[in-house]
Amino acid sequence: MTEFLQALILGLLIGGVYALLAAGLTLIFGVMNVINIAHGAFLILAAFLTWTLWDAAGVDPLAAIVVTAPVMFAFGWLLYVTTVGRIRKAPPASTVLLTFGLALVIEGLMGLIWGNTSHSVRPSYFNQSFNIGELFLPKAQVYGGIVALVVLSGLYLVLTRTWLGRAIRASAVNPQGAELVGVNVGAVAAMTFAIGVGSAGAGGAIASVLYPFLPGSHYQWIARLLGIIVLGGMGSLPGAAVGALALGVAETMTVTYIGPEWATAVPYVFVFVVLLLRPQGLLGTRLREDVAKA
Amino acid sequence: MSDAVATPDTGTLPGPGARVERARLGRQWIALIAAAVLFVALYPVFSDDLYYQNMIILSMVFAVGAVGLNIITGYAGYVSLGQGAFLGLGAYVVGLGSTKVGGSPWIWIPAAGAVAAVLAAFLGVVAMRARGHSFVILTIAFLFLLQILATNWDSLTNGTGGITLPLPTWSVDYQYWPFYYSLMALVALSVLMAWWIRRNKFGMGLIAIREDEDKAATVGVNTRVYKILAFAASAVLVGMAGGVYGYYLTFIDPLGMFNILLSVQILLSLLLGGRATLWGPVLGAFIVEPLNEVANNDFGGGNARLLIFGGLLALVVLFMPRGIIPTVRRWLDALSRRGRAGLVGERLDGRIELPKREAPGARAAPAEAALLLELKGLEKRFGGLRAVAGASLSVPAGSITALIGPNGSGKTTLFNLVDGTMTPNAGEVWFDGRRIDGKQPWSRAHLGIGRTFQITRLFRDMTVLENVVAPLRSFRLGQLTADAVTGAEAQRAEELLEFVGMAKYRDQPCSDLSFGQQKLVELAQVLMLDPKLIMLDEPAGGINPTLIERIGEMIRELNARGKTFLIVEHNMPFVLGLCDPVLVLARGATIARGTPDEVQRDPAVLDAYLGEDFRIEQPVRA
Repeated sequence: MTEFLQALILGLLIGGVYALLAAGLTLIFGVMNVINIAHGAFLILAAFLTWTLWDAAGVDPLAAIVVTAPVMFAFGWLLYVTTVGRIRKAPPASTVLLTFGLALVIEGLMGLIWGNTSHSVRPSYFNQSFNIGELFLPKAQVYGGIVALVVLSGLYLVLTRTWLGRAIRASAVNPQGAELVGVNVGAVAAMTFAIGVGSAGAGGAIASVLYPFLPGSHYQWIARLLGIIVLGGMGSLPGAAVGALALGVAETMTVTYIGPEWATAVPYVFVFVVLLLRPQGLLGTRLREDVAKA
Repeated sequence: MSDAVATPDTGTLPGPGARVERARLGRQWIALIAAAVLFVALYPVFSDDLYYQNMIILSMVFAVGAVGLNIITGYAGYVSLGQGAFLGLGAYVVGLGSTKVGGSPWIWIPAAGAVAAVLAAFLGVVAMRARGHSFVILTIAFLFLLQILATNWDSLTNGTGGITLPLPTWSVDYQYWPFYYSLMALVALSVLMAWWIRRNKFGMGLIAIREDEDKAATVGVNTRVYKILAFAASAVLVGMAGGVYGYYLTFIDPLGMFNILLSVQILLSLLLGGRATLWGPVLGAFIVEPLNEVANNDFGGGNARLLIFGGLLALVVLFMPRGIIPTVRRWLDALSRRGRAGLVGERLDGRIELPKREAPGARAAPAEAALLLELKGLEKRFGGLRAVAGASLSVPAGSITALIGPNGSGKTTLFNLVDGTMTPNAGEVWFDGRRIDGKQPWSRAHLGIGRTFQITRLFRDMTVLENVVAPLRSFRLGQLTADAVTGAEAQRAEELLEFVGMAKYRDQPCSDLSFGQQKLVELAQVLMLDPKLIMLDEPAGGINPTLIERIGEMIRELNARGKTFLIVEHNMPFVLGLCDPVLVLARGATIARGTPDEVQRDPAVLDAYLGEDFRIEQPVRA
């Protein structure tokens, strides 16, 4: 029982971090209909930035968010303007391939800069944990989960309480309608992409404490995030949150009861099962497909 | 001979001079390919340079992968990032077979192909419900799941330790020849298979799926079987090539064999060379693999490979999405057709006489007509919206029935429920005495339901003639291997095009037609099914008055020859002059039925169109 509770709580904590990362991915998909395969590479890039800040200046990785998030935001905006935005209206396959190409380039650059070895960020609390009864909760995971929740709440407030947030949601639901009432959908898409990448900047800083990483880790991360948004329903923010918690728990349960080497398989199994049984995901809606797009 | 959609010399458009020009180019093209093939075939005989033999061997491995990928990505439009998985799978079958069971690795090559094909077919089954983005995600998941299986299933695969195969037993004088020529045979077989698929019904159906999958199903293409077979075909030779590849390397491990970069190289070969072309993927493979060698030998591998392939992938998508061969072909085409005016844009000069036919016999509809189509309590919900709410209606055989109603009353959704594009939440659909609401769209098309769309949905990359020939009136496996366009079909299609007045345009690509012309072609396309019931969604919407009149005449003539019509239309004079009975749909349910006169006077109909308060004097209510 303790074992089960332990796995459950750890799963929910890590799920909170996944939720932040998946939120950015699903937001970009919702507005732009683009699966950003480079999302994993963005978050690993943020993790390396965090590592450098920590290694060179002793900055706490969670505090490093104030640097990584804005830097990644700017990077995202720049990438959108130079590449992704150029094919916003291209068929889905092209955008997937483009972002995949970007992911490979970023992976290669990270390898050149930081080397292809495993890195991890170890602040003072790295090896400590809170003990509650028989449960022990690593401090890094608790802090990480809390910070992720704070950033996610901030993101939620931006989406629901600001003009930009309304414009983003309007562009996601009905781009033509949004344009008719004066929303510049192109500019909103650029902001959305930048916000999504910025949130990967925050999430990557947190992730740097939780898992060791190397440039090639981005495949594992994008697999997780894709599993989450497929499960939750692509484009659905609540779906991403639910899917993230489910994946976090499924991973820790797999580690506890089946074996750590199978944990990496969990997201892929998610993808297969969901696409076989309920392709629209838990909270997604089936779109009308009979109206041909002009 | 190797074009996206076989473009037979368009006899009408570029003129005879251009045709000669193209034939000359065609011959040069064949000569070029023959020279390249000959060079590759003879290379090991004249040169013993193992560096280049190795490069050609690897290029051929990727070529087989890319030609296979072309079947699902180029023809059917499903982009896969997991094609490399079939190479790995084939290698593992050969590795495990020859080390665990025994025998020469060569005898396991066919098994490698079979296993790859079976797993690919399984992927096709999952992909029945996943399109676009979901499918790409699925292929990535497939690849990595196999990698994890190969890594973790220690007792079978020896995990990351990998499998070492026995070294080749032939004399070193023969160098890599057996690998080289067996791969060359596989490339040849792959290209032959791709060519053969493209020129028969199977390939035509796949292209229809790429252009518009739902539409393909409504004209009788059994998209499910087509897709599953396409996946199997795309993997079978790749699995075999993977087996040869594994034996050639003599070492098989999960990280190398299921590396996503293999899939990237295969996909890049296809994109770079030109998808849906015959030789594009081969050309691409012979460009990408040498780049790989350069990256490995001159730039230290790893990161350089990532930068080169990632960068190239992004550049191709951004700047040359069609690939090399189609781009070059377009330049040449543009050169040869410069200064010649097209057919498109020609105007209808007043009334065009319909071809005369012998007078039809008595009208098919008997006095008390049997019901051809009957809907009972049909219901379709989208979230909270009831688009169709308990609609019941019937269409008498031999009638021209109209279905009218205000915008948003559920007319098009009703069509979608009848042709099977959507499944109802409740209710029954009966057609010609059979209940059909559980049937797939293609089965309904085979039973005799044909349907056009409000915004026409032709297969844009096909010519007019190909569009009209694409519908299938039945499904048999044997039919897949029939010629894409048989003589009899072409003749019938030409008659139908003649009937709708579009015969001159038979070799034009559909994307060049005006909206009205597209409506006519779509009508001919539906007629090819020889349906009992023809459902037209706004046949008179958005086209000029002359054409509207002409379409009305065609409907009458077809009706006189026994076709039943169900027509959704907003043009009231057109509807009221043509149809009887008229059904009125409002808020998802039928509210009136009768002759045009009766419906026009029905107060419920006026309410539905204009709202209750349009009358100045409201009737007093109790």
